[in-house]
Amino acid sequence: MRHLWNCFCRELGLIKESPRYLILLTAGILFSYVFFLTFMHEGQPENLPIAVVDQDGSYLSRRLCHEIDATQGVVVVAVYNSHSEAREAMQRQEIFAFLEIPAGTYSEVLDFKTPHLALYSNNAYLLAGSLSYKTLSTIGKLTSAAVQREVMRKKGYSEDQIMGMIQPIEIDAHLISNPWGSYLPYVLTTMLPGIIGVMALLLTVYLVTNEYKLKTEKIWLSTAGGDMLKALIGKLLPYTCWFTLLGVVGNIVMFGFSHFVCLGSFFALSVALLLFVMAMQSMGVLLAGLIPDQHLAVSIAAIYGMLSFSMSGFSYPVVSMPPALQAFSYIFPLRHYYLTYADVAMFGATFTQYWSHLCWLLCFLIAGCIGGLLLNRLAKCDSNKAAIEC
Amino acid sequence: MKSFWHNITAGLKDIYDVFTLELYRIFTDGGVMLIFFVGSLIYPLIFGAIYKHECIQNLPVAVVDDSQSASSQRFIHKLDATPEVNVDFHCNTLAEAESLMRQRKVNGIVYFPNDYSDRLAKGETARLCLFCDMSSFLYYRSVFAGASSVMLDEMKHIELERYAMAGVTGQDAETAITPVPYEDVKLFSPAGGFTSFLVPALLALVIHQTLFLGIGILSGTAREEGQTVAIVPERLRNRSVYRVVIGRSLAYMMIYIPLVAIDLVLLPRVFGLPHIGRLGDLCLFFLPFLLATISFSMTVGSFVRQRDTGILVCIFFSVVLLFLSGVVWPRSNMPLFWKYFSYLFPSTHGIQGFVRINSMGAHLKQVQFEYQMLWVQSGLYFLTTCLLYRVKFFKYKDGAVCI
Repeated sequence: MRHLWNCFCRELGLIKESPRYLILLTAGILFSYVFFLTFMHEGQPENLPIAVVDQDGSYLSRRLCHEIDATQGVVVVAVYNSHSEAREAMQRQEIFAFLEIPAGTYSEVLDFKTPHLALYSNNAYLLAGSLSYKTLSTIGKLTSAAVQREVMRKKGYSEDQIMGMIQPIEIDAHLISNPWGSYLPYVLTTMLPGIIGVMALLLTVYLVTNEYKLKTEKIWLSTAGGDMLKALIGKLLPYTCWFTLLGVVGNIVMFGFSHFVCLGSFFALSVALLLFVMAMQSMGVLLAGLIPDQHLAVSIAAIYGMLSFSMSGFSYPVVSMPPALQAFSYIFPLRHYYLTYADVAMFGATFTQYWSHLCWLLCFLIAGCIGGLLLNRLAKCDSNKAAIEC
Repeated sequence: MKSFWHNITAGLKDIYDVFTLELYRIFTDGGVMLIFFVGSLIYPLIFGAIYKHECIQNLPVAVVDDSQSASSQRFIHKLDATPEVNVDFHCNTLAEAESLMRQRKVNGIVYFPNDYSDRLAKGETARLCLFCDMSSFLYYRSVFAGASSVMLDEMKHIELERYAMAGVTGQDAETAITPVPYEDVKLFSPAGGFTSFLVPALLALVIHQTLFLGIGILSGTAREEGQTVAIVPERLRNRSVYRVVIGRSLAYMMIYIPLVAIDLVLLPRVFGLPHIGRLGDLCLFFLPFLLATISFSMTVGSFVRQRDTGILVCIFFSVVLLFLSGVVWPRSNMPLFWKYFSYLFPSTHGIQGFVRINSMGAHLKQVQFEYQMLWVQSGLYFLTTCLLYRVKFFKYKDGAVCI
């Protein structure tokens, strides 16, 4: 225990000597929190710019414009005369969708013919395109419903009968744990801990390889009484505490101040965060053990770290990836943190349901132990080499 | 006149020397080689594999049918037939379905209340409940899309029945139900898939980030080795920063032109991503994109004091840059501060321009703003790089730092 404590104190001393990295990383993490919380503060984009191509120029088309403008989702920023103008505006990214009302629409409605409206949405920008499409298609349906209602009123149906005719089925959608359909909880709850994890990973690789690069590994080991495991724990513990603290504070901001839904226990989430940081550090130790060259190790860690955002499956589900990659996703701790988060916060799961994810996170500690063995061998090799040279 | 020519040839020779030295440094640095060649080629391949399937299909959902009627069963059959969802579980109670959802065996629940068919029979509005798994937005999108397409189909079916009861049939009934039909055209990515939307943006980001990271590492290494910002031939020390900056830029350009051709021209065709842009427009657009990225990276790189700082900065900014580019979150809805902040980075304009030319078939005229901004950035960052190099060269002029 004394060795562990010595190692811990030595690392604190090192931080005090050159706190630049820790300050840089902490500033980066704080910046991401501020960035993401302010960047998407709307939750779901509102008032997306769209256009109307009005070739009819009638009472009906004018009224449609106003109706569209009055919805929350979109705002009509321009009325064009031709399709090509609107398409070019879309390519300039001035609008995300447009509604084309062909000439003679109103008179055809009055004649009981069926005029066709056309609705174009830009799917190259998935979120904006599909949201504006959704609003416009609602308007399209409502247009039909409005005409239908007028006709039926004239025929003498009662209002209830009319409603039954126009809308025989209604879907009552319940969005579990995110009733607003907001993007914030969806992106932030996994992305921000992910950034913390990647920082912890990179820092671990850097710090451990740095001992070998500066040839201080013997001093480091001797502080821990020659035990690599103690040396590693003592060295990495200050960072484990710090990153977990940052993560928990972040979660308090998200689930407390920003009112994201957390149905389960916050404590469980914090434990998951602690295990996640430890898992990332363990992977860092493994990488440092496998690749003694500092530059190469940090580069590889960067590639691995960046992939964990995609492989966690919070944006694009893992089940839709090719089977080989699905198996590959298990070696990314962020995947297991995301699953724990979804279980605990979104579904209010109890320990019996989410324990397996925590076990997976614990398994990563084995990787850390293997990394420790490799590092130990490396230290011995180095000292042997030094002895031979002497 | 003679001295003029002499100056020109001397300048070209200096540039050539810097250029070859930089290439030598790139090819002898394992980390940089890894980032430049492996990173910029492996990442796109991995992304291509991860996002191979455009849409999510056959998501498992549970159905709770309290109504037990012909109409609810018809709805369920149709739901099962949609490409988006599969009805994998028929539960007796909502609690049972809920526990399936908690075990993550289903991503949605469709619940028919016991008055579902009664209301339909009475000609009223029947209601059904849909519970969506929100742990990923794509689950929600698929479950909702599946259920609403069936709802629209069923509605038409029921409306036709009701009009028939009122004595209206055939074409008259069709016209009465949808007097103003609409056609929807999903432009530029007909399947509405995630892949066609995200991967082109990621490809452009990979080019930006690997270049930025590589240059950052090279600058950091130079500083770690006790140099100024760049290693230059001895006779060029303390003079002519322009030659140094141009020489280095040319080296990166030479390496990145083939990489851009592979990542941004070849790979969209190999992966079957949208690629309706004209090649000429793309090439004209890549030129300022590369120039701006290189000068931007050299400017930022001259602040990097250690090799690994560059990596940390880059990693952390990758995610932020993707959001700032306005592909994920629409630019019209960005807070003003972040919108202007995003103008600082070549990636913002590069990604926007590339997506619009490549995926939306825009001409250079339609990406005029991005195109001009990239040239402005190239010029501006070139000047800042020269300025910073000059300051740093002067700082070490007394020969405190030698090779």
